[in-house]
Amino acid sequence: MDQFIQLDNFSKIWPYMKLFRQGLLVTVLLSLFTVLIGFCIALVLALMRMSNVRPFRSLGLDENGHVRESGVLAWISRFNPLDFLATAYVEVLRSTPVIVQIFIIYYGVFSVIQLPSFQLFGFIKFDRFFPGVVALGMNSGAYLCEIIRAGIQSIDGGQTEAARSLGLSQAQNLRFIVLPQALKNILPAIANEFVVIIKESAITYTIGVQDLMSAVNAVKGATFVIIEPLLVATAVYFCLCFPTSKVIAYFERRMSHGDKR
Amino acid sequence: MATRDSLIQVKDLKKHYKNGAIKALDGVTVDINKGDVMVVIGPSGSGKSTFLRSLNLLEEPTGGAIIFDQIDITKKKYRDANGKMVKLDIDALRQKMGMVFQHFNLFPHMTILDNMTLAPIQVKGIKKAEAEEKALTLLDRVGLKDRADAYPIQLAGGQKQRVAIVRALAMEPEVMLFDEPTSALDPEMVGEVLDVMKELAHEGMTMVVVTHEMGFAREVGNRILFMADGKLLEQGSPKDIFENPQHPRLKDFLAKVL
Repeated sequence: MDQFIQLDNFSKIWPYMKLFRQGLLVTVLLSLFTVLIGFCIALVLALMRMSNVRPFRSLGLDENGHVRESGVLAWISRFNPLDFLATAYVEVLRSTPVIVQIFIIYYGVFSVIQLPSFQLFGFIKFDRFFPGVVALGMNSGAYLCEIIRAGIQSIDGGQTEAARSLGLSQAQNLRFIVLPQALKNILPAIANEFVVIIKESAITYTIGVQDLMSAVNAVKGATFVIIEPLLVATAVYFCLCFPTSKVIAYFERRMSHGDKR
Repeated sequence: MATRDSLIQVKDLKKHYKNGAIKALDGVTVDINKGDVMVVIGPSGSGKSTFLRSLNLLEEPTGGAIIFDQIDITKKKYRDANGKMVKLDIDALRQKMGMVFQHFNLFPHMTILDNMTLAPIQVKGIKKAEAEEKALTLLDRVGLKDRADAYPIQLAGGQKQRVAIVRALAMEPEVMLFDEPTSALDPEMVGEVLDVMKELAHEGMTMVVVTHEMGFAREVGNRILFMADGKLLEQGSPKDIFENPQHPRLKDFLAKVL
């Protein structure tokens, strides 16, 4: 009977180690750029969602210049187009599968926009890699937005009241009081999202990004060995994800002075 | 009528919710003069906190006027001395009104010293060294100079509230608003906070104090307001209010708390 794992299969796939190394590099780069893009998108979205842009604000004032409390005009005056757009983006991205989003970006958007076909580091196909980063970044942006927003809203309203009563502006309050405290609160959730991104990046092999998962596929095709390349990938993914969450836990502890315990 | 010493004039101030179904403030008119120690008393839900929080616009009134520095601050825009419409600078206004909260609201991620110097440095543009020197002087006044480098979590409730008071004072406000400053404190710490407030009153600071400390009201206050159901039902000197109450609601209230 065949054994589940055969040691000599490892020697069969050994000559292909270069593919795994390249795949590792792609996965790391993919995750880093995704986090970067995702965080930028998330910050913009979160600010949009919490902004106070109300084009019909004046409709909400009565003839004496006071704020109306209720009624259709009060409702219209509170309409915030930025909040509406950002909310729509977040809800659509969170309510559809990543693989659908990746296919739409790759086969849809980037069939219209022509990308130059050159190779980064001599082997990363840019016209595959870039759509992968964009799709993953857009997706994680939606999740990170909600994390950031929840973090900001978790800060006690008394903090903002104290800051504003001292004369700090809304922006100063955000910068000195709310964001530093919020960031600390959301670090575990962000760490979790980073780890999710690393793992989820595996899905980009479906559009031909040469990441770790695609290395597994390539080795499988060349050697007809299946389990062992998957075990190698498993080990590598674990070695990426586990330390990532540990490193962030370390920063979390360092930032925790002044906490309630 | 407005006297020469009038600092804040509140006229028919209203705060209604749900189209007037709920009236947190229902037409409050009062003049706050320079040097007043005005103590607002009343049963819970009477609107006294809403009144206080309206004064620096933490609550937006839905009617009436608050005249501070010759400007109606309940309006988003006003006509300046040259007749030009300008936007109300709410941050500039709030600098002149210090506020102390029931739950202290110190910034937990900053040391006591940073709590005190943040606004002077960022809002007033005072140099760091100068702001710190002034903060230490203020902390010394309330006996907490040695805790300047501590974080708020390391302080007891009474100490936190004393820091909160001098944090507001560091902005050199024209009036101090106290929103139940001793209600969240253990009984043995109430005295130390009231002592600081008493000292402040004796120095001539204009103060509006919402409190349940009737002893403080009687001893330190020069004017007492009694509020119930969003209305100002009676006002007068501590003697008038405590020894010769007129309104039945006030009599009833005093019978319960004294």
